[in-house]
Amino acid sequence: MEEYHRHCDEVGFNADEAHNIIKECIDGVLGGEDYNQNNINQWTASIVEQSLAHLVKLGKAYKYIVTCAVVQRSAYGFHTASSCFWDTTSDGTCTVRWENRTMNCIVNVFAIAIVL
Amino acid sequence: MEKRGRGGKLPANQPAQQPPSTPRKERRPSMFEKEAYAQILRERLRESFHDVQYVEPPFDDSIADLGKEWKSALAKLKFANSYRMEPLKKFQAHSVETKVQQILKESLEDVKYDDKVFSHLSLELADRILLAVKEFGYHRYKFIIKVLFIQKTGQAINIASRWIWDVAWDSWVAAKHETEAYVALALVFALYCE
Repeated sequence: MEEYHRHCDEVGFNADEAHNIIKECIDGVLGGEDYNQNNINQWTASIVEQSLAHLVKLGKAYKYIVTCAVVQRSAYGFHTASSCFWDTTSDGTCTVRWENRTMNCIVNVFAIAIVL
Repeated sequence: MEKRGRGGKLPANQPAQQPPSTPRKERRPSMFEKEAYAQILRERLRESFHDVQYVEPPFDDSIADLGKEWKSALAKLKFANSYRMEPLKKFQAHSVETKVQQILKESLEDVKYDDKVFSHLSLELADRILLAVKEFGYHRYKFIIKVLFIQKTGQAINIASRWIWDVAWDSWVAAKHETEAYVALALVFALYCE
């Protein structure tokens, strides 16, 4: 019985790489824009879809979940917490906070390993 | 000592009285010397008719490395094939949704918005929901729980999620609890671990 050996030996989720990818995606979509009720749906959708596409291009055997919350900037309170039940050696998460003059954006990536 | 190469033959008439006069045999070199191995091998293979082209000396560092790699490969847990292609019990979104909604309602009943309280309440809620979902007993499922609290101050918020997973058995659940001052949102993602 032959075993399938992955070509890369990196163990665990590379959070830095994911961080860079997502930051670039957000900059591309929201950079220099002001909060606009009409476009906000489109922006959140494109941020999430682009991040997902880039993460998949990394070519690793992972399932990804990307969550994005964009809030209009004002005086408000916002709390978020996450609890996960997974394999800590192979799975990981990454959170990116981005803000500009009129909006706050929080993007969260969860990566779950597929055991081949 | 005569070394016979390939195709060497005993001469037909070898006089019997002439025992092969052996010059004083050199002391066989120690096995642990690198070059000695080749010579020892040639001696042992003296009777056979083949060429010893090249003998790889075994007493190299590469042998030690092989041993280490093998041991580390063994250390990684290897599971026997279960031949199971799908989960025993598929994730039922609706029953989990009612349970999560109930937990939210119970814990946030009459709770006023407060900065300090909410920061650890969110963590506590996330852990509580995780325990409740685990109790359902879905085997080989990994769970991700996200809890969000947003204060209602007239601003707009947009939350989007996308995923890449196995559509057949992976699923998600969202539950919302709204009061006058804030909105609590709980997201549960369930992924089957292949």
